[in-house]
Amino acid sequence: MKKQYASLILLLGAAAWQGCIKDEPKNPEADIESFVVDQASLAGNVTIDQPNRRIQVYLTPEAYQRGIAPVLQLSKGASSVPASGDSIHFDKPVQYTITSQSGANSKTYEVLVVSLGNRYFNFDSWVQQSTDKYEYPLEPDGVQLWSSGNPGVALSGVDKDPKAYPTRSTTDSYTGPFAAEMVTREGTPLSGLVGIKLFAGSVFLGTFNSQKALAKPLEATEFGQPFSGKPKRFTGYYKYEPGASYQDKSGNIIPGVSDSCSIYAVFFKGPDRLNGTNVLSSNQIVATAILKDGSARAGFTRFDIPFEYVSGATMSGNMMLAIVASSSKDGDLYKGAIGSRLVIDSVNIIHE
Amino acid sequence: MRLTILLSSVLLAAASMAEAQHVVVPEVLPAEKHIPTTAAKWEHSIQAGLNFGASAPLSIPDNIRKINVWAPTFAPMIGYEVLHNIDRKWAVGAAVKVDMKGMYIKDQVMYLPTIITTDGGGKFEGTFSGTNETHVRNSYISLPVHVVFSPDKNWKVKLGLYGAWLFSSNFKGTVSDGYIRNGGPLGEKVEIDEASFDFGHEMNEFDWGVQAAGERMVGKKIAVLANFNWGMRPLFPSSFEGMNFKLYNMYLTLGVRYYLPSF
Repeated sequence: MKKQYASLILLLGAAAWQGCIKDEPKNPEADIESFVVDQASLAGNVTIDQPNRRIQVYLTPEAYQRGIAPVLQLSKGASSVPASGDSIHFDKPVQYTITSQSGANSKTYEVLVVSLGNRYFNFDSWVQQSTDKYEYPLEPDGVQLWSSGNPGVALSGVDKDPKAYPTRSTTDSYTGPFAAEMVTREGTPLSGLVGIKLFAGSVFLGTFNSQKALAKPLEATEFGQPFSGKPKRFTGYYKYEPGASYQDKSGNIIPGVSDSCSIYAVFFKGPDRLNGTNVLSSNQIVATAILKDGSARAGFTRFDIPFEYVSGATMSGNMMLAIVASSSKDGDLYKGAIGSRLVIDSVNIIHE
Repeated sequence: MRLTILLSSVLLAAASMAEAQHVVVPEVLPAEKHIPTTAAKWEHSIQAGLNFGASAPLSIPDNIRKINVWAPTFAPMIGYEVLHNIDRKWAVGAAVKVDMKGMYIKDQVMYLPTIITTDGGGKFEGTFSGTNETHVRNSYISLPVHVVFSPDKNWKVKLGLYGAWLFSSNFKGTVSDGYIRNGGPLGEKVEIDEASFDFGHEMNEFDWGVQAAGERMVGKKIAVLANFNWGMRPLFPSSFEGMNFKLYNMYLTLGVRYYLPSF
């Protein structure tokens, strides 16, 4: 009986407030939430890079010539130019401008067609993300194949400065003006609140899904890009210097343990990408090439790793390739040594 | 501000009126006839009660879509009061109270701008949509002053101001089942299962406001009281950016008063 009175009071309390609730604000958001292209036109799944407002489509040559008519799902009440269902052609740059229901906000997404021919990556072209100021590499044709953990680090309140992020460009390169530099850094006071004391640097072929960055961080790193051909060897150059003190997830220093880097390539059945939970264990995997010894290398050192094919695994449909490099091997578990520095350059997939 | 000036002038006017009467009284009538026979010139009492109310915005912003639960927390008040009777109907008084003010609220918010900063210099800015749960429990030492009007020997009506010093603060909770947009409504969406916040150490340490009370004698020495006190100063300083609206203490104290023997 007492309980009933208590709940009655709580309900009355809530009801009293409810009278003061105003009309719902008009939606200020302007996302392209999904970008659906006829499956027959696709050679790989569409990716929407929300932080960089870029949509990448992997088209068959016929679809590229003919054009496509994507169906868009937008934030509630938002409108787009061109409209959902309109045909777009790739003889000139394609952009979608989305205006929020509130009318106050709009954002522009760029649509890029990804060619599957890229197999050599020299990390010579980098751009800065516009609001959070982290760097990421772009391919010569303007598409983005590589991502990093930086979009996740950006949520933890780091300084808006490229050097504050664990993954960035460096002029300490093997060839060309730049290479990819990864330096494991300490967490921020904000990340400490959710138990993250360390951020490892990482670059990977794939996309970072910000939506999952806090709730399911391992699933936020979506590994792989469409790949044609059969890879034989994974080659490149790297140098590595582990940080002084290895720490566990709680930030306790573990004496006698040295940090190591990880560099590997995974060839797998698409079109669904792998992620941090299954990149080396999924049954989609057809072959892997893994750097066995991730210890210190003072100068640029060449690696040349043959792909080892999983016995019985067959290639089918849309094959994909992931390349992953990290300055701390256990960085996905927030373990490693602050200051560990990995530089990679001139990465190549040699194929049949 | 205008309200403050108005109140102060009412208080001043009341006080000077009382004072004027007080001065002329002895010349016209014997003083004791103007002082209630049941009350001495000075009255001392102790009081205890519970606070019910909210630390809430004056007008609910449209970012708050639904209040699922609002509940008072156990928030007691104890205090001591002294009254100086000026005549049969008028008195002035002051008190010192330990006042806890608290509530629990669970609500649904939409596109709520927030900036979370930490002592170490971390900063996150974004808009949150989802469920918010907030627990508030703040302890103040408060010093009310008031003018007291007694229409008859059982009733007292009090009107005045209070100043309150925060000595223990609790303002924390969780956001859950929603998403935050990095940087603002156009930033990327980041899903939130559950994240906690604690703004307790960012609160203003001083509050002041207006108060109005009614009391009724229910025995020779005991009265029941209801006191509405309304803070005029926001809970958080203007530099605080955790939410885009200002919260004020609005609480009703229900309690009892015990008059101490005159001394």
